[in-house]
Amino acid sequence: MSLSLPTFLQARREAMLAEWIEASPGADAETSVSLSTEARNRQMEILFDEIMAPLLVDPPTDFLPGPEEQASLQEHLQAMVTEQARHAANATDPIALLFVLRQVLLDHLAQWPQASAETLAEDTARLTRYFDQITLFTFDSVIRQRDRQISEQSMSLMELSTPVLRLWHQILLLPLVGIIDTGRARQVTDHLLEAIARHEARVTVIDLTGVPIIDTSVAQHIMKTIDAARLLGSRVVLTGISPEGAQTLTKLGIRFGDVTCRASLRAGIAEALLLTGKCIASMEDSGR
Amino acid sequence: MTERLPSIELAIGNSADIVTARHAAREMSNQLGFGKAHQTRLATAVSELTRNVIQYAGTGHCMIEDLSDARERVVQITIEDHGPGIADLILAMEDGFSTSNGLGAGLPGTRRLVDDFHISSSPGMTRVIITVRKPA
Repeated sequence: MSLSLPTFLQARREAMLAEWIEASPGADAETSVSLSTEARNRQMEILFDEIMAPLLVDPPTDFLPGPEEQASLQEHLQAMVTEQARHAANATDPIALLFVLRQVLLDHLAQWPQASAETLAEDTARLTRYFDQITLFTFDSVIRQRDRQISEQSMSLMELSTPVLRLWHQILLLPLVGIIDTGRARQVTDHLLEAIARHEARVTVIDLTGVPIIDTSVAQHIMKTIDAARLLGSRVVLTGISPEGAQTLTKLGIRFGDVTCRASLRAGIAEALLLTGKCIASMEDSGR
Repeated sequence: MTERLPSIELAIGNSADIVTARHAAREMSNQLGFGKAHQTRLATAVSELTRNVIQYAGTGHCMIEDLSDARERVVQITIEDHGPGIADLILAMEDGFSTSNGLGAGLPGTRRLVDDFHISSSPGMTRVIITVRKPA
C-alpha cells in the first residue's frame, strides 16, 4: 500500500509537535514569567499547525506559499516573536525555534516509507525554501519589534529628561540634557512655561552642561524658550556653556544678546538668588 | 608617517544620523590629535550641514576622510545631497539670510568654523566640502 507524504506527516503530527516542544530553546528555562508552560505549548501547537498546513495539502504542491500569502501564519509568527521578546530572550530565539522545527520535519521526512533518494532531495529542497521564507519574515518581525521598543523607550526617555526643578522660592532650574530637536524643544518650552506660571517664577536658570553641541538650530530653540519665559515675567540665566562651545557660538555668529550668562551652574544659582534679593551666607556672618 | 585612518561614509536621512555624523567627525579629529576646541567646531559644522541636508533635501551623504600627510593633519568632510539646490549661493552665504525662518547663521557660520569651505549647488546636486587642518 502506498502512503502519501501529507498523510504520513499528518499521522506523525503528535510525535513531531512533542519533539519540537521538547527541543525548542527555552523549553527547560524557568522563564515562564508571562506564559505558563501550558499556554506556551498551546501557542506552539497553533503555530505548528499553521506552518504545517501547506505541507498537508494532498497531493503535495510544488510551491509552498510563503508567509506573505498566509495572513493567519503571519499573525501567529508575530505573536510568537512578541512573546519571545517579552521574555527578554535573545533576538535569535524565534529563529532558533524555527530551525528546530525544520530539523524535526527533515528527520521525519527521511523516515517516510516511500522515500527514495530523489524524492527526499526534492522534498528537502521544497521544505528548506519554505522555511527560508518563514525565517525571513520572522527576522523582519523581530527587527520591527525591536524598532518599536526603541522608539517607545526614546519617547519615555524624552518624558524623563525634561524636568523643571524648583530651586528656591520663585527660582526654577531647567537642566537640558542631550539632543535638542524640534520636538524636544517644544516639550521643554511647554513644561517650563507651565512651571513658571504655576510657581510665579521670577528667575529661570537654564543649564546647558548636558548639551553636547550647540549649533544654530539648538541655539534658535533655546532663544525661543528664553523669549517665551520672558513674556511670562521670568528672567533667564543661561549656564554651562563650555569654553569650546562659547568659541564655536561666536564663530557661528550666534549672539545671545542681552541674556545673562554664567559659566557654571553654581555662579548661575548665585546670580538667580541675587536677582530675587537673596544670598547664601555662612551662619557666622548672619550675627547669631 | 603612520597610515591614514579609514574613511567613513554615512547616509543622512533622519536626525539620529546628524548625531552619528558629528560623533564620527569628532572621533576622527580626536584620533588625529586635534584639540577640544577644534573638535567642537568641526562637530558643530557637521551638525549644521547635515541638518541642512535633512531640512532642505531630505536625504544625503556624508563622507569623512583623513587626508593627513607628513606636514599636517587634515580632516576633510564632504556632504552631498540631491535636493532642489540653493537658488542664490551668494545670498545664502550672507549672515542673516534664511529661506526657512531660521537664524540664517548656518552656512556663513559654518564657513567661519572651518579652515576650508567649498560649496557648489545646482538643482539635484549640492555639495559642501569642509576641511580642518593643523601642523603635524
